[in-house]
Amino acid sequence: MSALSRLPVRLLAFNILLVFLPVAGILFLDTYEHHLLDAQERTMSQEGRLLAAALEAGGDLDPVQARAILVKLGQRQLARLRVVDDAGAVLADSALLGPRRPAPEPAASPTPALRVPPQQRLLYLIGSLPFRLLRGAGDQPEDERDLIDADTGTLAGAEVRAALEGRYGAATRVLGDADRTVMLHIAIPIRIDGEVAGAVVVSQSTRRIMSTLYAVRLDVFRVFLASLAVAVVLTLVVATTIARPLARLRQRSGEILDRRGRLTGGFEPSRRRDEIGDLERALAELTRRLEAHLRHTESFAADVAHEFRNPLASIRTATEMALEVEDPEERRRFLEMAQRDVARMERLLSEAREISRIDAHLDEEDRGPVAVEALLGGLVESYRLRSGNGWTRFELEAAGERAMVAGSADRLTQVFDNLLANAASFSPPGGTVVVTLRAAAGQAEVVVADDGPGIPEEHRDRIFARFFSWRPEGPAAEHTGLGLAIVRAIVEGYGGRVSWRPRHPNGSEFVVTLPLASHPARSPAPAGAAEPAARAPLPDAHRDTR
Amino acid sequence: MSGTVAIVEDEKTIRDTVAFALRREGYQVVAYADGAAAWESFQRSLPDLVVLDIIMPRMDGLELLRRIRGQSATLPVIFLTSRDEEFDRVLGLELGGDDYLCKPFSMRELLARVKVLFRRLALAAHPGDDAEQLLEVGRLTLDLRRYTAAWDGSALPLTVTEFMILHALAKRPGHVKTREQLMVEGYPHDTFVSDRTIDSHIKRLRKKFVAIDAGFDRIDTVYGLGYRWAQETA
Repeated sequence: MSALSRLPVRLLAFNILLVFLPVAGILFLDTYEHHLLDAQERTMSQEGRLLAAALEAGGDLDPVQARAILVKLGQRQLARLRVVDDAGAVLADSALLGPRRPAPEPAASPTPALRVPPQQRLLYLIGSLPFRLLRGAGDQPEDERDLIDADTGTLAGAEVRAALEGRYGAATRVLGDADRTVMLHIAIPIRIDGEVAGAVVVSQSTRRIMSTLYAVRLDVFRVFLASLAVAVVLTLVVATTIARPLARLRQRSGEILDRRGRLTGGFEPSRRRDEIGDLERALAELTRRLEAHLRHTESFAADVAHEFRNPLASIRTATEMALEVEDPEERRRFLEMAQRDVARMERLLSEAREISRIDAHLDEEDRGPVAVEALLGGLVESYRLRSGNGWTRFELEAAGERAMVAGSADRLTQVFDNLLANAASFSPPGGTVVVTLRAAAGQAEVVVADDGPGIPEEHRDRIFARFFSWRPEGPAAEHTGLGLAIVRAIVEGYGGRVSWRPRHPNGSEFVVTLPLASHPARSPAPAGAAEPAARAPLPDAHRDTR
Repeated sequence: MSGTVAIVEDEKTIRDTVAFALRREGYQVVAYADGAAAWESFQRSLPDLVVLDIIMPRMDGLELLRRIRGQSATLPVIFLTSRDEEFDRVLGLELGGDDYLCKPFSMRELLARVKVLFRRLALAAHPGDDAEQLLEVGRLTLDLRRYTAAWDGSALPLTVTEFMILHALAKRPGHVKTREQLMVEGYPHDTFVSDRTIDSHIKRLRKKFVAIDAGFDRIDTVYGLGYRWAQETA
């Protein structure tokens, strides 16, 4: 039962510990017992002192007077009273004066079942076994038979001797009967003219007190047993509702990777509403995301391998032919082909590395606030310089010039550089690429528009996919199909969005929205209330058309 | 030996290089950058052989082959594939390609395949050539000139690669051939073929045998080593 080996065992131990609280109650009852016994002893000694005082008042100690006083006490006391002379010989004994008045019995036994004294019940004997074993080493009560000297018939117990020496004596003795009833004896000296003339011996059984105690102890022990049973049942219930599902989860998580470390299946989402259900759902979600990530990585690796095969095939066939042809012109042509494809593989490699670096490390990169307008201005300027007075014109319209975006300037440059390069490559001779920046509703929106041919319907949903490249004319080989994928990876990594929409009457518009950075100099204002001045479109959007 | 070869390939370098190499061998060459352009031309006149890339914009290679087969059941087609999965898919489909090469392929390998397929065409056109070179192993007959095979007298429609691998196995019955050895014999001019390619071809060979003889079990897999043509026990 490995399921019961750890957590349930600890729970069981805890539960049983709680169950032992009633046992502490039993120990408390021990002190209660001592109090009761003390009280009984005080009552007895009071009775004894009264008798002794009455006898002392008589001035002499003679059996007739003593018996008369005992008779006068009218047998009302519960204890047995004996008067002994200075040698311990019994002068008077209340037990010899006829039957005692019926003591106010506790209204008979409440239940017939209690006819068997509690302390003799099997349950009590089992429960008290450890206590009896422990006490076995402690002081044993003396035997009742030691009280009476068998030869002389005088009382010669230690308590009597103490009283005859002028001290207070007390002893507990066990009757030799089946119940092992404990008798409490006290002895009080009778002083006449300053001399000890005899003693009063008061004896009473502790049975009444003890039987009440025994009954209570038995009840406590019953409660203990019942609690123990409940504790075991509770532990079993807990074991099945906590430990078993946990063990199942553990087993499932062990099986989730096969020997080669691949994910096989996952956790089924649980319908349980408790914490274990939460854990199961969290694990299911974790494995689902892990699987998606692995699948993504695998398909990316397969895509990269596939994309490398075409240039590799080109290089292989071209170099093969270069070796075969005799004509130096032809050889040169093939080597140039190979060289072009080597450059293409290098580009592919660096962009593939770039995109996986964005996937893995974008979150760790520095994200200082970047002024988008300045960044766009610099980029547009550099495109203008590169195109000379040539084919494509580049314009920048900035309406929200104070738009600050949290991100790395290099990455944001990469985003807009790729979009501008893309737009420029689609732009027809004499065309215009317009970049528009607006800041509104907590977002910076950058639109890169060209008046090229646009994108046919069937390719629109794939233009941001990795390795997808579509060109209306000319060699697709010049483009790796990763430029827009890099744009999307960065923008989405920054919590923004990028989309494409057709432009009227012809052309494409790429729309990038990025969340505005809250201004670091200002105290953090609640979302929506920050920077109203920066967000409102400026009335005079300056149009930059140099 | 001459004829018209069409090369349909969107990679300009590969297209130009293959066209150049085929012309040097004395073939007429027509080159197309995608399936749609090729199909437009094929509707007017079919070439004698087609070298076909699979992934292309505007009609891929598989669709083009389907259309070609609608016109001619025998026009030889060599596929160029660039993905392992693609290779399996092409082999799995009963498309009736005559051979397959994985990119990056060797130009010499491609030229050898083209030559074999043209020889097949020529021998099919002029039967009764007496000097037949036959290899008979039990119920299997291999025609080493025509690159054709028969099992129990029924013709097996094999690609050139499949024929070469089968020949390598059957010429020494009972001897194990490793995947490396089969690669060398199946692709004599190429050095960069993955061994999974051999497994795909063997799977395919078995399927073709089983299609005409359900009880066929001559090709043994020897785990950790390779494959073997089982010796006749009877």
